Amino acid sequence: MIEDILSIKDLAREEIKKAKDSKTVQAVRVKFLGKKGILTGKLKSLSSIPNEHRPEYGRVLNEVKTEIEAILKKQEEFFKSAELQNSLKANRIDVTVPGYCIPCGHRHPTSRVLDEIVDVFLSLGFRIEEGPEVELDYYNFEALNMPKDHPARDMQDTFYINEDVVLRTHTSPVQVHVMKKNRPPLRVIAPGKVYRCDADVSHTPMFQQIEGFMVDSHITMSDLKGVLEVFIHQIFGPKTPVRFRPSFFPFTEPSAEIDIGCVICGGTGCRVCKNTGWIEILGAGMINPRVFEMVGYDPEAYTGFAFGMGIERITMLKYGIDDIRLFFENDKRFLEQF
Amino acid sequence: MKASINWLKEFVEFSLTPQEIAETLTMSGLEVEGMEETENDTLLEVNVPPNRPDCLSINGLAREISAVLGLTLKQSRISVSESETVERPAVEIKDPGLCMRYSARIIRGVRIAPAPQRISQRLELHGIRAKNNVVDITNYVLLEMGHPLHAFDLDKLSGGRIVVKQAGSTDKFLSLDNDEKTLSSETLLIWDKEKPVAIAGVMGGLDTEVAGDTVNILLESACFNPVSVRRTSKRLNLSTESSYRFERGADIEGLIKALDRAAHLIAEIAGGKISALADNYPAPFKPVQIPFKFSKINAVLGIDINPQIAEELLTRLGFKIKREGDRHTVVPPCYRQDIRRDIDVIEEIARLYGYDKIPASLPSIRIQSELPAMRNLLRTVTESLRRSGYSEAINFSFLNPSALDKLMLSPEDARRNLIKIKNPLKNEDEALRTTLIPALLENVRLNLSRGEKSLRLFELSKVFLHSGQKLPAEPLRLSAVYLKGADSLSLWQGKHDGFYDLKGALEGLFAELRIEDYSFASEGFREPYLHPGKSCVVRACKIDIGTIGALHPAAAQAFDISGEIYLLELDAEKLLLNIPAGVTYRPLPKYPYVERDMAIVVSTEIKSADVSAAILNAEPDMIESVSLFDIYTGAHIPGGKKSLAFAIRYRAGDRTFTDSEVDLMHTKIIKQLADSFSAELRS
Repeated sequence: MIEDILSIKDLAREEIKKAKDSKTVQAVRVKFLGKKGILTGKLKSLSSIPNEHRPEYGRVLNEVKTEIEAILKKQEEFFKSAELQNSLKANRIDVTVPGYCIPCGHRHPTSRVLDEIVDVFLSLGFRIEEGPEVELDYYNFEALNMPKDHPARDMQDTFYINEDVVLRTHTSPVQVHVMKKNRPPLRVIAPGKVYRCDADVSHTPMFQQIEGFMVDSHITMSDLKGVLEVFIHQIFGPKTPVRFRPSFFPFTEPSAEIDIGCVICGGTGCRVCKNTGWIEILGAGMINPRVFEMVGYDPEAYTGFAFGMGIERITMLKYGIDDIRLFFENDKRFLEQF
Repeated sequence: MKASINWLKEFVEFSLTPQEIAETLTMSGLEVEGMEETENDTLLEVNVPPNRPDCLSINGLAREISAVLGLTLKQSRISVSESETVERPAVEIKDPGLCMRYSARIIRGVRIAPAPQRISQRLELHGIRAKNNVVDITNYVLLEMGHPLHAFDLDKLSGGRIVVKQAGSTDKFLSLDNDEKTLSSETLLIWDKEKPVAIAGVMGGLDTEVAGDTVNILLESACFNPVSVRRTSKRLNLSTESSYRFERGADIEGLIKALDRAAHLIAEIAGGKISALADNYPAPFKPVQIPFKFSKINAVLGIDINPQIAEELLTRLGFKIKREGDRHTVVPPCYRQDIRRDIDVIEEIARLYGYDKIPASLPSIRIQSELPAMRNLLRTVTESLRRSGYSEAINFSFLNPSALDKLMLSPEDARRNLIKIKNPLKNEDEALRTTLIPALLENVRLNLSRGEKSLRLFELSKVFLHSGQKLPAEPLRLSAVYLKGADSLSLWQGKHDGFYDLKGALEGLFAELRIEDYSFASEGFREPYLHPGKSCVVRACKIDIGTIGALHPAAAQAFDISGEIYLLELDAEKLLLNIPAGVTYRPLPKYPYVERDMAIVVSTEIKSADVSAAILNAEPDMIESVSLFDIYTGAHIPGGKKSLAFAIRYRAGDRTFTDSEVDLMHTKIIKQLADSFSAELRS
């Protein structure tokens, strides 16, 4: 009887050895160890074994069962691993095909630069205000010390809606709006679109400006220099040379224009800076007492500074763009560079 | 203003190179915008600001250079030898408000000929055409002294006298440029006994021109009201060397000097005898007296300039300082009419002292900064659309009214109520935008023409609408265009309608803004330029905020573009009006969900969103989400029908659902859908 069991073991071992894949191994398992398997049958019939042989018989039977299970397991693992390897080999992708990704759109270069500028002034404690693009002549000119028939109006070619209404030629009218509504201290920047009747390589009839001003009891021209130097060094780099030279704007006095060392040639002279080594980027000055009088501030009690700059111009300098019209064509090949 | 270095040197002796002089002028407020080398001279192109008419001459610029560099100005000695016969021109000023001074001399017996080269060459160099010796000398003195002069042919002046008065009923005048000018009644004219002979301060008349046969002349040196000259010049659209200077303000005290300089040169070069001076000067000039506190210099500039230095700088500029005890009064020279109050004086000091010597400081400030909510939101909008593949466009605010025809807008459409520009650069740009769509379509056209096949653009800009007030309303619009075409996404894209790409970008924006209450409704919707079957209104928080859809083929044709194009236009302010305030945390669910799919067959007319809503509303407390995951028409689905497959997620807050509970709800929903949509379960 023991021999029977041992021959079953040999038979099982033989069949496992012959198995070609995990499926046949599984069939062998069922044949010997399944519910109706040969070995299972022997275990079930253990009770029919005479008492004196039963322990010995049972022991051998269990040993054989353990042994077969171990071989089965080993063989199963072998095949599973092989089959996994095969399936991995069969399942390949071309990793060089481009990924699925919605390509990001692009911020307009002038908006990118405007954001940078705004962030600098926010960090200096300025807040943002806006004004209308279609503006009363009064706010655009008169309140800024440019009465009708003043030659200073020639500095800005104006689009008229009617005699009293213009497309604002600069963001400076926001100064007047803000000062009329608020008392000092004021620290404000005002970005926005402005319009001038002019079109060539360096002029478009619409462009963007940012205005800034500060009014308090002890603001000096020295503060203006300090604030603008911080701004220029943040935008163009800390080593950028800056110079202030006298100029004229009806709404500031003293007035200044601010040049930076030419970012194209580094100051040695080129076409962009007309061989001067300097590029004008800002107009500024101390707010003219006449403007304070127009908005009902006491010019003896307050001083303030104001400045304004063209966003396109600064963007052109920052990125080396040579034609302002590119900003408004919205050519995909242009926009995608930023 | 052009200025020759050699000529300048006749008035001020400097050893600086032309480059250094250019730099000096630029840094004192007279920007040198260009330099031109000639054979033995250098020509500076000086940008003289409108407040400095005193620098519109060689002498004026030399005066400025002498002040800046602290050099002496060489004053040319001007003397006139008057003839023995006592003759004096008769001059009458009818309107002293418009002509503040009129002086003249007669020169008899001139010989008209070309001017000597030293005169004519200088004129040409400075951009003035040479004519004859007398006219050239008046122009030469204009350049040299800055004061406009005019020479009349005396024998053509009827009655040999001058009257200054407005045009009144005279409305035509033949000017030197051989052009008949139309006058307004306010135009100030120079008359002889019976007829006008010049437009005061602007241009002389052809009839009294000094020409080859002229023998006797009347030389005018006058001062006219700047506003009057400017109005006339603007109205006639005629700007001359003369009007340019008068409208900025001429030197009323210096005009005799100019007259005598010219008379002297004429007598010397063209011959002739100079008469006595006529000088009609009704209200002599009174210099302005400016009370001045030296302490204010530092309060404005933020520096510490010694009053002695300030005084010296002012003296160099020709200012006088009067002292009465502690009080100071500053008196500017008569040619500096831009100096009216103390701030003007401070600017002069700063200019000469040097802006570069003003230290840079940072003002002490009270903290107040914040990015306003609106601007923050706009940045969010921009970033969201950018992540969805849309690039930011900026277009001009102008609109060609014919674009509205191309959009097929009805005659009553409010967007046709345009605000127009009186003086547009081009007729196509005569109106302000009432919609951003035409510009975006133009962007599509341009990109197509340059070979691009796909395009995603958005623009955030104002439109301009009549408001009933003086100024228009300027609401902010958000528009986008999607041109579907071969691009890097094509590899992965299915065959869905491009509408869903643009809609997806908008839904992404809603998600970014945390707007959950939004919908797309096509019932009764009609936007003329959108495809009626592929467009709808966009609602957020129950209000209509804009439209989305495919471009109508007829509109595409009108704009001369082709391809699958989708458009979006929203009222950005309405969009941003209802942004939820903030984020509130919701506890995570404690019990698991049970998910069941449901595929139903309904008529193609049925809107999927209505079905989703019906499912959700059937068990609002038990259903966590309903998501549409398949739409199918074709084999096994009858014509006119479609299959919609939803994944429904059931979850209770207080227990785990059993299968039988979910079965019950699921069956109930199917029955309800059968009732409301004639839906059948897909077999």
